[in-house]
Amino acid sequence: MSSDRDTILTSVRAALAPLKDRAALPDWDRELVHVRTIQPATDLWALFAERLKLVNGTPLTAVSELVALLEKNNWRRGYCDPALWPQFKDAFPAGIKIETTYDRTRVDDYDFGITAAAGAIAETGTLVLTDAGTSSRLAALAPWVHVAVLRREQIHADISAALAALPNDPNIIWVTGPSKTADVEGILIEGVHGPGVQVALLV
Amino acid sequence: MLNAERKPVTGKKVQLMATCLCDAIYADVAKATVEVLEHAGCTIDFPEGQTCCGQPAFNGGDWTAARKVVRHAVRTFTGGDPVILPSGSCAAMMFHGASLAFEHEPDLAEVEALGRRTWELMDFLVNGLGVTSWPGRFPAKIALHRACHTRGTGSIAATLTLLRSIQGVEVVEFGEVEQCCGFGGTFSVSFPNVSTAMGDLKLEHIRAAKPDLLASVDMSCMMHLSGRAAHEGHPIKTMHVAQVLRDAMKNT
Amino acid sequence: MAKQLIDQFAAALPADKRASVYQSTKSTHEKRTKMLFDQFAEPNRLRSLAGGIKQHVLEHLDTLLPEVEAKLQANGAKVHWAATAEAACAAVLGIMQARGATKMVKAKTMVSEEIELAHFLEKHGIEALETDLGEFIVQIDHDHPSHIVRPIIHKNRREIATSFEKHGLGAYNDDPQTITRRAREFLRQKYLQADVGLTGANFVSVESGRLVLVTNEGNSRFSLAAPKVHIALVGIEKLVPRDRDLGLLLNLLARSATAQQLTVYTEFISGPKSATQPDGPEEMHVIFVDNGRSEVLASECREILRCIRCGACMNVCPVYRQASGHAYRTVYPGPVGAVLSPLLAGKKFPELADLPKASSLCGACNEVCPVDIPIPDLLLRLRDKGKREGAPLAAAGTPPMGAWALLATQPTAWKAALFGGKIINYLPTKLLPIPPLRAWEDTRDLPEWKGGEFRKWMKGRGKS
Repeated sequence: MSSDRDTILTSVRAALAPLKDRAALPDWDRELVHVRTIQPATDLWALFAERLKLVNGTPLTAVSELVALLEKNNWRRGYCDPALWPQFKDAFPAGIKIETTYDRTRVDDYDFGITAAAGAIAETGTLVLTDAGTSSRLAALAPWVHVAVLRREQIHADISAALAALPNDPNIIWVTGPSKTADVEGILIEGVHGPGVQVALLV
Repeated sequence: MLNAERKPVTGKKVQLMATCLCDAIYADVAKATVEVLEHAGCTIDFPEGQTCCGQPAFNGGDWTAARKVVRHAVRTFTGGDPVILPSGSCAAMMFHGASLAFEHEPDLAEVEALGRRTWELMDFLVNGLGVTSWPGRFPAKIALHRACHTRGTGSIAATLTLLRSIQGVEVVEFGEVEQCCGFGGTFSVSFPNVSTAMGDLKLEHIRAAKPDLLASVDMSCMMHLSGRAAHEGHPIKTMHVAQVLRDAMKNT
Repeated sequence: MAKQLIDQFAAALPADKRASVYQSTKSTHEKRTKMLFDQFAEPNRLRSLAGGIKQHVLEHLDTLLPEVEAKLQANGAKVHWAATAEAACAAVLGIMQARGATKMVKAKTMVSEEIELAHFLEKHGIEALETDLGEFIVQIDHDHPSHIVRPIIHKNRREIATSFEKHGLGAYNDDPQTITRRAREFLRQKYLQADVGLTGANFVSVESGRLVLVTNEGNSRFSLAAPKVHIALVGIEKLVPRDRDLGLLLNLLARSATAQQLTVYTEFISGPKSATQPDGPEEMHVIFVDNGRSEVLASECREILRCIRCGACMNVCPVYRQASGHAYRTVYPGPVGAVLSPLLAGKKFPELADLPKASSLCGACNEVCPVDIPIPDLLLRLRDKGKREGAPLAAAGTPPMGAWALLATQPTAWKAALFGGKIINYLPTKLLPIPPLRAWEDTRDLPEWKGGEFRKWMKGRGKS
């Protein structure tokens, strides 16, 4: 493919050669993308929770709330990140069956997956997942319910702050609410390929 | 703003480019333009040799033909006085389109110089001369069509300022104001189906607002919309804003 | 004088299709505009800055491309180059064959549509399945997308339900929720069986070598969670200089495309999965695709390469709304397509030379473009090109201008014509064999000719 590389770079150079001046890179102030309808928040979790609800996500502040949600919907089989399970297991009733290894041959056997978030963005209600911090990409995606476990100090104010703090990780995912589509007649349907329910659990 | 780089207005001597549409069809719009400019204290020179701005050929893709006509305009409108047009679209041809067509021509500078002193009438009154209110009475509910070639210019804000200052004028809002009426010059005859469908949508929105008349700073849009409305057997009243201003000031 | 092809297509479009395209585009456009202007103090400044950033990238591709290549390689990705569509298809096939791979899941990528990848792979015995719901429906129907963000904007739920039934995806049921669930069940098995996940990239940061992908459905994420190989097809124009510039572009893209603050899934991918991660690709291949782009870069329409594929221009375009995407006969419809498609066609430009005519030059596309592409100016330049090259498709329906220009440069003849034109007030114009006049009069009345009247009045005032 090296010849294609040369062909492309040669034609790009030839295309640009006649330009007398080349466009400078404009600088811009991140204040410009400040969403003015959002009041500056002192409590980033409160803002995050409010924005997450706007995209039909589910913010929770206690494991007991999560258990109540799971029981109410009869979501009784799930996966939990083995590193998180010790801190949750006392709160979970015996009727909810948890596995700490995700078996990709049985994707439909899991109603929910609990994994760790690496951060969040308050302004957009976004959860940040990383490859290093997520125990299983599939467990955070394939079950109907995804629970991302978040700590208060991990929340960034806005997109610019989250970009400035992008960790050195090969696969970072920002998740803003449940998976969705409006392909069929513009009607909003949630839970297309990913979760239909996106939970952020504050611990 | 498309026409931000303009020569400041220092005197009140102006040249009038009546536009081919007013020259051929809308004579009263050109008359109203003269009377309005005179009311604003201007002395008007009407170069007899003028024809057209070149836009039909430019938009039609025949830039060779367009350049001939633009060059004729450059030869006709000499000197340094502002050139005023009762048309947002012909004005935009002079201050924007012509520069594109002359990008690689040796006389680009002259073409651009003409562009910098070319003004759409309402823009000139408000942003050139500093007029902020207009005298007289004109009791009517007016729907103002936003002619597309005034996008990015001060014309619409200027028009609204003047219209709203006239006693009795009520500017009524209507749906999808940013949408084109469907005229588009030669587009209207090479895409007659789409052009007409666009016109029908525009008319539907305008009629829903129940105005007494439809006004614009471009008679080409008005020709298309009133022609369509009349063809359908439901004529609508259309006026150029200059005619509204002229009629208002004569009704004090 | 024939009418333009797109006008003929629009006239033949069934009313219900036109209504659904019109309603969807209008509603998305209105939500987009409200959101941008409610939320940002200076949305137009943002558009201009984003355009400036992308223009900078285009004009520095000669240095930025090798720079991002090195970054990607350092991150552990393998970089390939494809000068043409054929080379891009061959590169994908080569990677797959070398690994004995036979199954691919595809996330939505416009460049794969452009190079007709799925079709090519199928010919070579590889299953290449579209996973975006709309693209999946297009694929099973052997149809084409008609909008770059909403591929099935032209289809209604009944057509989809019929198609699902025909392809064994359950008994007829036209409830959108049921349609979506059935696709979910069917496709997740496909992800798990696939050897390769193919994606595009919305942006590639030169600073960090991260590919940025945005989707709402989560299909690209699934394509990067189950298969062991990731191939990304990336147009050479997709670069952004710095990670921080994404703050501007992501904010604009989501709002412009779908009136969202942020797309549901925004992924930053800089290499194969980490060692501790059980799921995801062990190899990442990035294929930089030219396929005509460097020629566009050499043209005076290079600004079109700023495009971030949001679809806002087609949503606002009155011609697209009347004609729908298929009228444009190419992968990229609407105003952006009317510029990009004829340019990417290269020597086949004459076959698409009519597309730049499909505009009233109203400028709405430029007004909404998140990277401020002066689309009307580019359409005009291509009209000039079409005329210079004598492309018959471009000429159709446009009255010849040579004689008119002659008249408009001779004031005496002009004045005589103004006066003489009055004859049309007395002639039965409906019977005259003048095509532009007929095209006008078929649907609109002619105004009364008053040629010379103003000049007479003006002269009279001078004397008094």
